[in-house]
Amino acid sequence: MENLFTTVIISRVKRTLLNSFSCVVISLLASGCANLGVDPWERDLLAKKEMALTSSPIDAALDDHIYFSKEASSGGKSFGGGGCGCN
Amino acid sequence: MKKYILILMVIFASKAVFGSEINSKLQLEQAIQANHGKVIYLDFWASWCGPCRKSFPWMNKMQNKYQDKGFTVISVNLDAKKELAEKFLLENPAEFTVIYDAKGLTARHFKIQGMPSSMLIDRNGEVKVAHSGFFTKKVPQYEQEIQQLINTK
Amino acid sequence: MESSKNMKNSNIKAALTLATTALLGATNTAVAQDEESWAFDSAFLFYSEADRVSAGEAIFNANKTFSDEEILNLKLTIDALTGASANGAVAQPNVQTFTRPSGKGQYQINADETPLDDTFHDTRVQLNAQWTQPVADNLTASVGGHISKEYDYLSLGINGNMAYDFNRKNSTLSFGLSYFNDTFLPEGGIPNSFASMLIGDNELNGWDDAFKQTRLINEDDKTTTDVLLGFTQVINRRMIMQFNYSYSIVDGYLTDPFKVISIVDNNGATQDNVYENRPDERTKQSAYVQTKYHFDSAIVDLSYRYMWDDWKIKSHTIDSRFRFPLADNAYIEPHLRFYQQDAAQFYQPFLNESQPLPEYASADYRIGEMTAYTVGLKYGMTLDKGNELSFRLEYYNQTPTDAGFDEPGVLANIDLYENIQAVIGQVTYSF
Repeated sequence: MENLFTTVIISRVKRTLLNSFSCVVISLLASGCANLGVDPWERDLLAKKEMALTSSPIDAALDDHIYFSKEASSGGKSFGGGGCGCN
Repeated sequence: MKKYILILMVIFASKAVFGSEINSKLQLEQAIQANHGKVIYLDFWASWCGPCRKSFPWMNKMQNKYQDKGFTVISVNLDAKKELAEKFLLENPAEFTVIYDAKGLTARHFKIQGMPSSMLIDRNGEVKVAHSGFFTKKVPQYEQEIQQLINTK
Repeated sequence: MESSKNMKNSNIKAALTLATTALLGATNTAVAQDEESWAFDSAFLFYSEADRVSAGEAIFNANKTFSDEEILNLKLTIDALTGASANGAVAQPNVQTFTRPSGKGQYQINADETPLDDTFHDTRVQLNAQWTQPVADNLTASVGGHISKEYDYLSLGINGNMAYDFNRKNSTLSFGLSYFNDTFLPEGGIPNSFASMLIGDNELNGWDDAFKQTRLINEDDKTTTDVLLGFTQVINRRMIMQFNYSYSIVDGYLTDPFKVISIVDNNGATQDNVYENRPDERTKQSAYVQTKYHFDSAIVDLSYRYMWDDWKIKSHTIDSRFRFPLADNAYIEPHLRFYQQDAAQFYQPFLNESQPLPEYASADYRIGEMTAYTVGLKYGMTLDKGNELSFRLEYYNQTPTDAGFDEPGVLANIDLYENIQAVIGQVTYSF
């Protein structure tokens, strides 16, 4: 009985977390974005290789393999964006 | 002549009052003024910009090819640190004017949307073409645009 | 001396460029003398657990940027695994005998020791190819393929993604899909779920038939479909953030055919070891946040991932890296990672003979409750001609924790949740 109650609460919390996360993302997309960011000529630091979201793809691939073999979670990371913003 | 001296006096006065912040904008204005009557390829670049590196040999080529026909390249460097620009120029020499604008005043003035940015100014001082980015595939088109403006009187 | 070595390097690179470009039929419209050549990365990693698994992995990556931001990436990975891995059975205060997965041979485990199967000697070869190019203003597309082969495993995969930049490239929205099909032909075949592990002498008559009875089929497969939604935002000149959501469905044979689960009596004495059984479907979701911040010279990379699935596994991963530049184009990068996961619903360290057999059960510590941390340090330097050399040393500590199961009889005195410690060393050379 108690387990069912806890399960319901946890699933509600999960749903709320998911909703909040989506809200943050959507509101950032809808409004906040225009205020954030830099002018195209101010990307000197972002253009550095070390500032790429995955600055060491080799290390990331090796680590992913290790953790995939030893743990139950995998992936979920890394995509485009950032950098020098050229062209 | 009087007009020219007056402008110079204003420039010197402004330099004294406002220091180096205004320099880049004035330098650019001076450079454009000095080349009035020529077709000007105005380019904004920075050392950390890959496509900018690719555009340099081509801009040198254009400068050499068309300068006798009333054409010149004027470039503005937007590096926050001048040393990085100078290092870049050692590896990629420029055979055209380079104006340093570390604070990005000229970029802001021209509302630059991307890096690199270029615009073609015709013989009457009007901006006719603007490009954001430098694409190898578009090089023939870029050259065509220059030729068109050169041939327009 | 130095200049001749540089010449040699650039000649090799140039030769490789010509050879491969011809193969791919790509026309390289170089703008004057700005020739683009390949960028290579070669890395070797050594992973070693105290008394358990050791692995070596080598990667060779080739990357070439063509005329206008078109990028080809090719990667070759070879890894070899050796050593012993827990087979899922519980330790006992007496010597135990187990049969190898192939059915050809037995191995013995000392008293009070976690049963480990050392049959695993495997070499794997993997090839990845990825092509990325702009398809319109502010729109980039990427497609890729993957093939991986071990003697008993084949994995084929394809992936594709699109990235859209807006707000003067301060924001990027990305969408990715991937599909993998894996085929498994374990030596000895796929065992029947919950069939007892046959113990005896494999040389005797009748063994082969009896062993075959415990097998279901020779091979099986599984498919993995992944969807990834990403949003990247430049916050200011020094900071960038990324938010990702992923949804993944794995379908097919998800049981580990090499793992068993012990059935014990009320005294904790093992009565039987049976092959485990997992559901044939798993839906995973994850939410990921990452921030990179550039201080005056140091850079910090901080990320958090929350994963949850329909096996009731939940996990938290916090990963952090701090990069500090040193004199002469060198850098040092400490690394800290924390991981915590909850057990799968059907995870049990063992079964009790008095209880009815559940539909699914597995004693694989990898889907059990655990916490883990990694502490590491990376040192990198730039050599002449811009080539880079780096060294990475890491320590991984994994502590399976008690998921709240009763430990009857002798099992109370046995460490059911053995700690795992591993050392990781890596050398990377980029040229």
